[in-house]
Parts: sequence; structure tokens; C-alpha cells
Amino acid sequence: MRGFAIARLALFVTLCAAPVAAPAHDPHGPKQSAGPGTGYAFPLPEPGSYLLPAIRSAAGGSVLDESGRPHDLMEFLRGRITVLAFLYTRCGDICPTATLQMSRLQDLAIKDRQLAGRMHLVSMSFDPDHDTPSAMAEYAAGWRSTEADAPPWHFLTAPDWAALAPVLAAYDQAVDAKPDPGAAGGPLYHIFRAFLIDPSGRIRNIYSLDFFDPDLVLTDIRTLTIDPGEDDRRMPTER
Amino acid sequence: MMTISPLARESLARPCRNRLHRTLLLGTAAVLWTVLTGPLARADETCLSPYMAKITGEEEFVYVWTLGVEGVGDGMDKLVTVDVRKNSPTFGRVIDTESVGGRGEAHHGGFTDDRRSFWAASLSDSKLHIFDVASNPANPKLVKTINDFVERSGGVAGPHGAYALPGRMLIPGLSNTHRDGRTGLVEYTNDGQYITTHWMPTTESPQGAAVETIADGYGYDARVLPRKNVLLTSSFTGLDNYMRPLGEVAKDPEALKRTGQTMVLWDFHARMPKKVFHVPGAPLEIRWASGPYNNYAFTSTALTSKLWLVYESADGEWKAETVADIGDPSKLPLPVDISLSADDRTLFVDSFMDGMTRVFDVSDPHKPQQIYEQKIGSQVNMVSQSWDGKRLYYTSSLLANWDKTGADNEQFLKAYTWDGKQLAPRFEIDFLREGLGRPHMMSFGSASLYSS
Repeated sequence: MRGFAIARLALFVTLCAAPVAAPAHDPHGPKQSAGPGTGYAFPLPEPGSYLLPAIRSAAGGSVLDESGRPHDLMEFLRGRITVLAFLYTRCGDICPTATLQMSRLQDLAIKDRQLAGRMHLVSMSFDPDHDTPSAMAEYAAGWRSTEADAPPWHFLTAPDWAALAPVLAAYDQAVDAKPDPGAAGGPLYHIFRAFLIDPSGRIRNIYSLDFFDPDLVLTDIRTLTIDPGEDDRRMPTER
Repeated sequence: MMTISPLARESLARPCRNRLHRTLLLGTAAVLWTVLTGPLARADETCLSPYMAKITGEEEFVYVWTLGVEGVGDGMDKLVTVDVRKNSPTFGRVIDTESVGGRGEAHHGGFTDDRRSFWAASLSDSKLHIFDVASNPANPKLVKTINDFVERSGGVAGPHGAYALPGRMLIPGLSNTHRDGRTGLVEYTNDGQYITTHWMPTTESPQGAAVETIADGYGYDARVLPRKNVLLTSSFTGLDNYMRPLGEVAKDPEALKRTGQTMVLWDFHARMPKKVFHVPGAPLEIRWASGPYNNYAFTSTALTSKLWLVYESADGEWKAETVADIGDPSKLPLPVDISLSADDRTLFVDSFMDGMTRVFDVSDPHKPQQIYEQKIGSQVNMVSQSWDGKRLYYTSSLLANWDKTGADNEQFLKAYTWDGKQLAPRFEIDFLREGLGRPHMMSFGSASLYSS
């Protein structure tokens, strides 16, 4: 077991130390930009310098917290700025990466106590058969900050598939079972999506993993605090 | 300057609360993420939105967004499904058609990021048709039509295509209610709810963008390079031109002045235009390179027959330059669709008037070299290429009033294999003989995307 873990760690370090997919065909060598090793870098916009138009209203639904207490999801989506991400704990590819970003976001927010007090994080499982409240509590312990100034991070699950289905539909979160439940990466296909939700319960941004960067999300959160969006819709006027 | 940084490097460089736990999880994640997204695992069409789910095996279906022709079949625009499963008894044949009940100049389209819906745009009636391709990929069903695109967008008309963003669709327009080329980008939720409109920058209202020569406000294609946070748009012309016969437009100097001559680089996250390049001659399709350090895109100009490169230079500045002629520009071959191979080495370029496809070695993107050419038909427009570069599909129609007439009005889907040196025919379908219409945009489908 220990050997397996070391092998995984070594492979990870190897992957991260070298450009992951440098174009082998390029006779002139990789055209590396001045940015970081993967070439993945761009300037952050100034908070408040851009608009985040309301996309739609966030939806509620029956959920369980880590103690097994029932709630409506909307209880977690009003009053503060929310970053909501769907995941399942058996995931071996996208979800751990995304959850790491959530934890980094939580860490980053600690540096701005005022902002931390206006936001929180919610991770919601779409695997209720396996992700029981206790399983979510155990998962949360591996990721959640214990710093007193950290914004809250809630780990939720659904009581069953019947309760989960309308939540997934409302967030357009497709989940499919893989033909082989033992497949690499976990038994479910899914696309990663995270949602930025304002205190009124309106979705203001949707992130893929490409843009789910803590600095960028925090910039969006700051933008919402500058422009709460009472008249957020950029009313189109013809030229 | 504060920047977004690469995930893996950052995660290693900073302390974690539960470092071992996170590192092990991330180790697994990094390996599998690479496997899932690396070139070897993909076999999908190139030139897709990077936000979309990818087919990891060979394509099974080709969806063809087809413009209806009066007197041909039911005369209606329709989504045609062609079976390309190698061992299927119906390989190379039409297995389904889904009519939209009208004719509105079917043009381009695209899947949502979860690939469960295909959005098909119509240029003359400004409708967006949404097909469910997930419930039965061999039998797509029309589930919704957006009829109020012009009203909701604030006056954008002629939706040109549909490009997947996370949970949203980006619809670049071609025109407006005045029927000229000034237009905008319109965002919808995946289920068809209007979100917002971003008007293209103009010289009068550059919206903060640096303008090289002119900002005409025109639009056509729109594609994102996520890791550089840039959106690139191109420009064509408005309703008054693209709904006129091509021969008339070509002889009208005033009409030709009303064609696109710009490409715009946007800050994608902020949806703000940053730079307006001068690219005269109607730059059309945009194809970003796939390589992780290949910060460039190709486009072709229809009226000047040039291949252009938009690239980030060593000093971080984005630039646009001509890099090759396409055929003999003096003969107006009218370049249309282009397709870049997944390894960024090979670019297929179609030209409508001579019905040719030309293949360029673009290993050095600043110095493309033509390595092959083949006449596909009397006219040719779109080309779609599989991720492994071995299969190509061509369709014939450009616009109802721009297609050739008489015997030259061939309307086909033709499939080929490519061995790196030449094309070899696989099958072809005569869309007029089959009573279908004018085939335009193609997209690949597979039942393997939807396992339950």
C-alpha cells in the first residue's frame, strides 16, 4: 500500500515537473510563453471592472448535511455569496482537483476577513448511494480549513436519487454511470461545473475546471461585493 | 502583475492542511486527467469548443445541419444523421432526418458543453433550434426553437453558430435589424434562456479596445483559448449581402465595402474587447492550435484568399499577419472552411469556387507550405476532421443564394480517409437525390457519450 502511494506520488511529481503535453512534433521546440511551465497564465481583471450578469436563479432541493440533518439546499444559497460545486468522493480525476481548488479558495479568503464573512463554500455530492452524510464528513475533514477566520464550507449530499434528480436537472449537471464501475477515475461520468451564487440566490458565473482558479473566483466574489447587481443585467441596446 | 497560475505547480509549491491526503488524491487526479484529456485518448472532431465533452472512440454519427430546398423532399431545414459506424449495415447512409418545419437559411451550430443538445442556427429567420442528441444519438429530436433571438438580444440578427461555454452557449451574430454587418455576441443558458449581449466594438465605440485601423463591428466566428483567457472573433457581412446572389454582390463595389475586415481579441473572462486587428477580406473560420504552448490561431479571408495567423509574440503582444496565399488569389477561389489537425501540423483549407481542398504543412505556423490539393466537387464548403486525422468529411453548400446553379449545384456529403499524403474516398451521399437539401455544418456524435 505504501509502495503504491509512493509510486503515485512519484508519477505526480514527474507529471508536474515536466510540461504535460509538449508538442513532440515541433522542430523548433516548445513555444513557451513567459508564463508558468504549462503556459497557463493570464492577468486577472480588476474586481468591479467587468459585469457578471445574472444567469438564472439557483434552485433548492432536499439535502442532508454532514450530521444527516435534512435541509433545503436554498438555505445554503442565500444571505452570503456562495461557491457551489458538485462532486462525488469516489471520483479519481476531476473532483479531487476541483476540491483542492475549493480548499485553496477557502485559504485565500482567510486573508480578507471582511470578504470571508460574506461568503461560504458548498460541495454537493451526486453519489448518494455511497456519499452518506458520514462519508461526506470524513471527506470534509481532509480538505476543510480549521482556521477560525475561514469562510464556512458545507459538505452536502442527497437522501436518495429521487431527491437528487431535480437538483441535478436544475443545475444542468449531467451524471452518467460508466459501463465498468471499476473504471479508472471512478464509476461516474460527469462534467465539472461550479456556480457562483449571489446573496439573492442568483447564479452569476459558471466555471469549468479551466477557470476554477481561486484567485479568479475571489476576484469574481469581490466584483459581486462592489456591484451587487440590483440592475445587473446589461440591458442590450441596439447600436 | 497578478496572474492565474498552473494548478499542479501551485499545489506543490504551497503548504496544505492535509498534505499527504491531498497529494495522493492529486497524484491520481493528475494522471487520470492527463489520460482523459490527452491527445491519445481523444478521437473526436478537431476544432471543437474546449469546454465540451469529447468522444474518446471513433465517431459513430455525423450530424449535418441541412438547408431545405423548395421542391426537394419536404423542402424544410433539417438535421440529417449519417451512420459512420464501420461495421454497421447502414454505414455511409442517412439513418434519420429531423425537420424543423421551416426554411430559414440553416448554417452553423454546435453542442452544449455536456454534449446533450445540439444548437442549430438559421441566418435568415434568426431562429435557434435545439435538438436532444443524448436520449438517442441515432435519432436526434427537436425539443425547442428560440423564435425571439432578435428581440431578446436587443437587435442582433443572423445567429451564425453556437459555441459551448460552461453551462452556457455563445451565439455570434452576423447582422442586425438594419441588415448590415454590425452585430454582437449573445449568451444563453444551455436550456435556451437569454442571458446577455456583447456588442462588437466599433470605431465610434471601441469599448476600450486598441484599434489597429478600423473597428467595423462585424462578426462571424467566436472561439476561446482558455489557458490564455482570450476570445477571438472574425467578421463577414450582414443580411443584405449574404441573402443576395453572390454574383450580384461581387459586382457591387458598395456591397463589397460592407464586408468584414477585422478580428477582435477579447478578454474572455471579462468579455471585454482588447484589440481590433485589421484583417481585410472577410476573415471567417477561426481554428486555435491545440498544443499547450502553441498560442496561435489560423483563419482564412474569403475575398483576398489569404491565410492569416493570429499569435502571441515573444513579448506577449498579440499580432495578426498573413502567412500564405490560398490558391491563386487573382482567380477568387473564395476560401471557406478550414480544419487544423490535432497535432497542429496539418491545415485543410477548402475554397468554394474551384471546389478544392488544399492541405498545408503548418508545422511552422509562420511559413505554411502547401503539400497536397484535391478537387472535391464543383463546389465545396465545410470540412470536418477526426481527432486522429484519419477521416475527413466535406459538404457542399455555402448559402442558398451563393451556391452554384445548374449542373454545378452539386449537394453532397463526401467522406475520405487521409494517410498523411492523400485523400481516399470512403463514401458519398447525394443530398439532392436523397431529397434532403443543401448540406452545411457537420458535427460528430457517439452513443458512447451517454452510457445510461
